[in-house]
Amino acid sequence: MNKSIKKHRSTGFGVIDGTKLLLSAVFIALVIIPLIIMFTNIDPESIKNVVNTPNFWEIVLNSLKVGVIATGISVIAAYFLARFVYRSGVAHKDLFSILFTLPMLVPSISLGMGLIILFGNNGIITKLLGQSSGIYGMWGIIMGSVLYSLPVAFLMFADIMKYEDASPYEAAEVLGISKFRQFLTITLPYLKKPLISVIFATFTLIVTDYGVPMAIGGGFKTIPQVMYEEVSGMQFGRGAVWGALLLIPAVIAFIIDLINKDRGNSGFITKSFEESKSKIEKAIAYTVCIVASVFTVSPAISFIFLAFTEGYPNKLSFTFENITDVVSKSSEYLINSVVMALCVALFGSIVAFLTAYLSARMKSKTSKFLHMSSITSAAIPGLVLGLAYAMTFAGTPVYNTMLILVMVNTVHFISSPYLMMYNSLSKINGNLESVGDTLGISRVRMLKDVFLPQSITTLLEMFSYFFVNCMMTISAVSFLSSTSTKPLSLLINQYQTLSKPELAAVVSLIIFGVNLGVKGVFRIIKTRKK
Amino acid sequence: MMQIKLKVRDLEKNYNEKVALKNINFDVYSGEFLSILGPSGCGKTTLLRILIGLIDASSGSIILEDKDITNAAPNERGMGIVFQNFALFENMTVLGNVEYALKLKLKKENKKSGNKLGAKKIKEEAQARALKMLEAMNLLEHKNKKPAELSGGQQQRVAIARTLVLNPEIILFDEPMSALDVATRLALRDEIKRIQKTFGTTMIYITHDQEEAFAMSDRIMVMEEANIVQLDTPENIIKNPANQYVRDFVINNLKMKIDSLMKYTDVDQEG
Repeated sequence: MNKSIKKHRSTGFGVIDGTKLLLSAVFIALVIIPLIIMFTNIDPESIKNVVNTPNFWEIVLNSLKVGVIATGISVIAAYFLARFVYRSGVAHKDLFSILFTLPMLVPSISLGMGLIILFGNNGIITKLLGQSSGIYGMWGIIMGSVLYSLPVAFLMFADIMKYEDASPYEAAEVLGISKFRQFLTITLPYLKKPLISVIFATFTLIVTDYGVPMAIGGGFKTIPQVMYEEVSGMQFGRGAVWGALLLIPAVIAFIIDLINKDRGNSGFITKSFEESKSKIEKAIAYTVCIVASVFTVSPAISFIFLAFTEGYPNKLSFTFENITDVVSKSSEYLINSVVMALCVALFGSIVAFLTAYLSARMKSKTSKFLHMSSITSAAIPGLVLGLAYAMTFAGTPVYNTMLILVMVNTVHFISSPYLMMYNSLSKINGNLESVGDTLGISRVRMLKDVFLPQSITTLLEMFSYFFVNCMMTISAVSFLSSTSTKPLSLLINQYQTLSKPELAAVVSLIIFGVNLGVKGVFRIIKTRKK
Repeated sequence: MMQIKLKVRDLEKNYNEKVALKNINFDVYSGEFLSILGPSGCGKTTLLRILIGLIDASSGSIILEDKDITNAAPNERGMGIVFQNFALFENMTVLGNVEYALKLKLKKENKKSGNKLGAKKIKEEAQARALKMLEAMNLLEHKNKKPAELSGGQQQRVAIARTLVLNPEIILFDEPMSALDVATRLALRDEIKRIQKTFGTTMIYITHDQEEAFAMSDRIMVMEEANIVQLDTPENIIKNPANQYVRDFVINNLKMKIDSLMKYTDVDQEG
């Protein structure tokens, strides 16, 4: 008689699906519920007040103008920079990539401030040239926004360049098709989808930022800046109306990017690009890359200059006083920032890793839902999320605590690290779970001994992404911290308002230094791991 | 008389309206090399995944040496599987790949028998057996390498060693050579036959390559659209094809390959 072995797995809806749905519910609740609470706090009076603001349409138009022009400049510049770095045969590719992405390490408000130090009425370059550049206002915001968004657009184009297949171009060369026609018929169709993603990511970044306009805008107001001013003036209802307005372009961009999610660079490369051997092209590439590097490095240099100057522009003598002043008065804020960034990096990385594992490696009907819920927060600008959290948690014990700062930052930043890990885990051999099942290796062991070690470099990237972004964020945290939990980045605006740009420069420099150090350490670890 | 190792009875698999396997009945003999041959989409991979327990059958039974394993967990079926894309643990060395599951198995057995052995002893035992297996597979010199440092053929041998070290009753192969070049395929073909002879393991081998099936198998099961159309020795299939499909898909295809080979041989001889 046959001995039967009991059934090994249940069919239908199981624990894994339940966990996925629970996790999805948590993600959605942490984003949507605060937003709903924010919306319900909008009274008709606030809407009327906002719409009847004398310069309402001017503010909306300003935001759109800055968004469109800065996005155009940033995207075109980033495309050519990525092309010059990865296709023109220039040496020191890594160095140029690092230099182009340096602005990512400081808050956007610092970038605006850096431009004022250089090009403002008393700016270093203004003094050297003896001519005012008229940096305050729209063109200053555009310049600062380009600085702020260029690194992101550059990294996206760099990624696209790495995955483009050279064989269609080779075939075109053999057929005698001109370079211009190649660009029209091969490059543009290939770029269409990824370009849409880059454009919308850049536009959202620019149009939702309040740091640059705050620093350099002068009387030229944009939506996020007005929103910040309203909330700072305790006009929460009006702030929420501006927030709702800000949500419109961000959500549209998010939806278009989702529809456009076939990024066009996922196909395998049959032939990698050979770098150009043209000496003229190389010379142009070097010139452009060096000029762009000067542009991206200049804010950091201006911080260094100002940080060690007694009182610019009148007293140019060298001093350590600004440093000692900030260190003695503000070390607790630095500790707050580091603690917050470490907690978010640790907690966020664990949550993002486990979520990505569940959605990428344990496929079921609920995977797609979990995937979508994990990236929902990408549609919400930090400033709006911060206000929604403030309105939701005001009066509760968590308000103004480190816990709420960690929570809001984790929610705000989780989508990118999640996607990094999702893509990394999706690329690992699809049969590994089956191998584990047949060899008697449990899923937990596979996770610990196989998937985690294979994803360690991505995990390190996630950790540093969370950390760096938390160190420099000013948006999500500005309405949620108290004197005892205030992060260092919020002091920049404070010192600016107090007309102490030297101290604001020191703060920017400290954040830049910490982030650069963290990036450097992670880069070394990653290289060793590889 | 040959001993029956595996009995498959009335096996069916349906995905909603779509029938993936219909009325599948066959036996596999102890120590036999059985190939399942058919074009893409005929159901051969579904059958293999049901045999190993990665998919549930809609109905029917699978009996391994008088034990009904139809609903058993994949690791409790006494079978192992080798996939076409190797599916090695990229973060582990060759030795690590082979000893990892064995170590866990020994730990589990030790726990069942009241923890008679210490962790160190288990580790040593697993390593000794893994090294012995690597030696038998001519992989000893690569023991400290990571899979990425090996050729495709070597990686597939590591995958076989990893399965074989657990002493399975049957090894299933899911088109193990489709990712390899011709020279490596020919070498690995001999290697698999050598392993079968050395270890006496029963093997079920999935392929869409007629030549491979005829060169390696004791018997061949030809499948078409969720059904078995013929199960016989290579010789009998050639002599008595069950129907026109077998004649076209198997014999005529093989003949075409041989004809083209002969043509080049003639040219060479004439030249």
